Amino acid sequence: MAHQTVQPILVHFGTLFTFCKLLGLYPHDLQAFRGIHTLQSSKIGTAIVVVTMLAVVVLYNLLIYFFSSEDHDLKASQSTLTFVIGIFLTYIGLGMMITDQLSALRNQSKTGELYERIRAVDEQLLKENVYVDISKTAKNILLMIVLTVVSELIILISTYITLVDLTDWKSILWLFSCFPTLYNSLDKIWFANTLSALKQRFFVINTALEDMVESHERLKRWTENGGDGGGQIFRRPSIANVSIDPSLEYLYKELTHMEAVKAYNMARNKISPIAHSLNSFGDALETPKKPYKYTSQPPTFNMVYESELNKDIEKVEEKLNNLCQLHDEICEIGKLVNELWSYPILVLMAYGFLIFTAQLYFLYCATQGQAIPSLFRSAKSATITTIFLSYTAGKCIYLIYLSWKTSLESKRTGICLHKCGVVADNNLLYEIVNHLSLKLLNHSVDFSACGFFTLDMETLYGVSGGITSYLIILIQFNLAAQQAKDASNAAETNYNTMLTTEAGNTTALMDYFTTTFMPYAQTDLY
Amino acid sequence: MSSNKVKPSPIQRHHNGLNQFLRQPPTHNSIFKDMRITLCVLKATGLLPIYEEVSSYEVGPPTKPKIYYSFFIRGVVQTFTLFNLYNLVTPGSTGQLFYSYSDTDNVNKWIEYLLCMLSHSATVIICGRNSKLFIKILNEILKVDEDVFDRFRETLKNKCGFSLKYIVGICICQWYLIVLRVLAVKDTLNVNSYIFLFIYAVQNGMATIFIVFTAALLRILKMRFAHINTTLKGYTYSEQHKLRRIPGRDRDVITMDSFPEESLFIYRLHNKLLRIYRSINDCCSLILVAYMGYAFYTITTTTYNLFVQITTQRLSFNVLQTCFVWLAMHTCVLALLSKNCGQATDEANGTSQVLARVYGASKDHQNIVDKFLTKSIKQEVQFTAYGFFIIDNSTLFKIFSAVTTYLVILIQFKQLEDSKMEDDWSKL
Repeated sequence: MAHQTVQPILVHFGTLFTFCKLLGLYPHDLQAFRGIHTLQSSKIGTAIVVVTMLAVVVLYNLLIYFFSSEDHDLKASQSTLTFVIGIFLTYIGLGMMITDQLSALRNQSKTGELYERIRAVDEQLLKENVYVDISKTAKNILLMIVLTVVSELIILISTYITLVDLTDWKSILWLFSCFPTLYNSLDKIWFANTLSALKQRFFVINTALEDMVESHERLKRWTENGGDGGGQIFRRPSIANVSIDPSLEYLYKELTHMEAVKAYNMARNKISPIAHSLNSFGDALETPKKPYKYTSQPPTFNMVYESELNKDIEKVEEKLNNLCQLHDEICEIGKLVNELWSYPILVLMAYGFLIFTAQLYFLYCATQGQAIPSLFRSAKSATITTIFLSYTAGKCIYLIYLSWKTSLESKRTGICLHKCGVVADNNLLYEIVNHLSLKLLNHSVDFSACGFFTLDMETLYGVSGGITSYLIILIQFNLAAQQAKDASNAAETNYNTMLTTEAGNTTALMDYFTTTFMPYAQTDLY
Repeated sequence: MSSNKVKPSPIQRHHNGLNQFLRQPPTHNSIFKDMRITLCVLKATGLLPIYEEVSSYEVGPPTKPKIYYSFFIRGVVQTFTLFNLYNLVTPGSTGQLFYSYSDTDNVNKWIEYLLCMLSHSATVIICGRNSKLFIKILNEILKVDEDVFDRFRETLKNKCGFSLKYIVGICICQWYLIVLRVLAVKDTLNVNSYIFLFIYAVQNGMATIFIVFTAALLRILKMRFAHINTTLKGYTYSEQHKLRRIPGRDRDVITMDSFPEESLFIYRLHNKLLRIYRSINDCCSLILVAYMGYAFYTITTTTYNLFVQITTQRLSFNVLQTCFVWLAMHTCVLALLSKNCGQATDEANGTSQVLARVYGASKDHQNIVDKFLTKSIKQEVQFTAYGFFIIDNSTLFKIFSAVTTYLVILIQFKQLEDSKMEDDWSKL
């Protein structure tokens, strides 16, 4: 007991770290990680990351260059804007990867400190006899990695086999199309597991508080049963021993239809002036009560049902204080995590929104038999699109869900603390609980993307609404452009044979944005 | 107000007594040092009253001639605004400025001029009405500075250097825009148009400079809130733990013994700062609404213009530059404003969070903490634009998403207009 040490959580990140290190995503020192399980910044690692980044950027650009020659006719007639937006859509994945790597470089020194702080929290928790079970982390990480790799591979291979021209040796470059998303997913797995570790710690604190409540209730029930015959309730001497007559208790039960424990509390609330002023209930209980004080020692078998809330009030206060401080520390760690990953998260959300909209729109275009940019060729198959979209959406939604749950879990601590106050029900403890709950109210952990929007279900709803409306707008544009083109084609064949050649030129203009703005591109031609 | 209510503790009185003798001669007041030029510009343009510097920690009301001067300048500016308005509604005089081919563009430009005028007049009128309030705000900030100096023997930094850079940037932008505008018009401009353009630039610049001034005021507040928070941080459990670990130097170490006295001072300071924060909000909120409306509209139309430029084959570099200058100026100023608002609000709200980390051993200390926390539960610290919306970082995000939506609508209109033209053309 004396020298029980806690395992640092990073022990379970081994697979993920090796994988990330192998791919050149994280710059931290491998030896230090293997040896003492800490993240230390290393210069060689930085160099490797930079080199990997450059290599991927170069290869990805090669890929874009190679494949963009395929839709040459598309590009020739593209207006400048289409070109700009096309570049934007194509490069956002790459930009996301670069953001991940750059923030990994920037945060090199801070991440080590982060996990050190988590370990310190674990140690503190252990001092309070709360054990954090982190054995599942490794399994979770493995599962996530497997899921990521499987979906990446499925998307890559199925697209490669069905939609890429295999005869050309350059088509091997298509492999690099999956690199940005893979890197991003690995980084986000890292983030998600850190976050869920925090959530687990909040949960553990809440459970510790609830355990105290439960054991106290058990003790109370036992004392009630045990004291049935003599009508005596044994209490430890240290707490304010205020109890009521068992016959009165029966009366409350009849009157309020509440279970004994609850009614018991209400009665007690009445007696204590502070508790009364701070709680809304207790008005109906006008019966005068005589406080009995039992200073006799409880029987020896009371040890079976021991409740911490019954111990020396100072010890209880210290324990609650410590839990509260730990809660605060975890909140601070949460803020740090949020700060470290704020830019990657922002870019990921932007990426999710744009790619989701674009992919669905291109799916629509493909079903209408229109040409789509070559890099979005996976939209030609509905199955691959489904897999791709669920993979992307899963990533975004899981992160939002986890952040939301974590902040909910942190808010639940206040409720658990109040349960302690209610069940133990004495003045001193009430004062402590009130004091601490005021503090808890000010521990805030809200996950947001650079302060622009918070990561919660509301945002998710807003984003899905946004995707739907933009999709509708885009499809409307597309339809209108098609109509206009048909009309102008008909007009041209009727009136001017010379212009048909130019119109024939523009039939290739069936790209997403070009179609949208075709009418005045034509006006300019006239 | 609160300083009248709460009796100063004996020690503080002692401090004050000493300071009567120890007070250093007024050297440079930090508030004026950082923002001297900003304040000069605002005073010269009549937006701020030309106050007297009574002592290093107090400013007095302006003298009679200076009041008249401010009145006179404001009157002149408003006359010019009327002149512009007249020019705008009479079609002939400045028709050359609306050279664009499309009707929608011209209407957009026209509304933009009108909104700029509105925003500027709102600034001038409200500033004229609130001149006393501004002096009060400045005095209160100086009072806080004095208190802090008496207590901690340190002068607070303001970090308002950005305001000067912004003003220079805005002036350059305005000149550049005039030049671009003059170059863009094909035929020679008449005098009316030149005057119109110049006044428009002045209006624009003044409205924007005032926003920069607001941001600077908020930055000053933020620094003061941050000072409070760092002082309180010394009492938090983590700092106390750290101190316990390093024994030895107990001289300069903060112990919990000084907490009640210190916290009283800090609570009072926090209240004063919050009051200043609110009065700044009261003074500026209508101006902010007008400016943000104007900026939002300008950003939308400019983005739209930029878009149209990029999609057409004939790129005009003049228009491109104009668009970029407008976008850069308004985006920067909006970002500055929302960033400073957000920071000030965060720091103000941060006090209770820092205080929540103070774990007093005795009941007295706990009660002191509890009182402040209870007070701050329902105390919503927000910088609002006249209650319409809260200004912080998320405002920027909301503005840009709104711009995107309107852009889509405008493009749709443009498409309709074009297809109609095409129909007409094909019917010929």
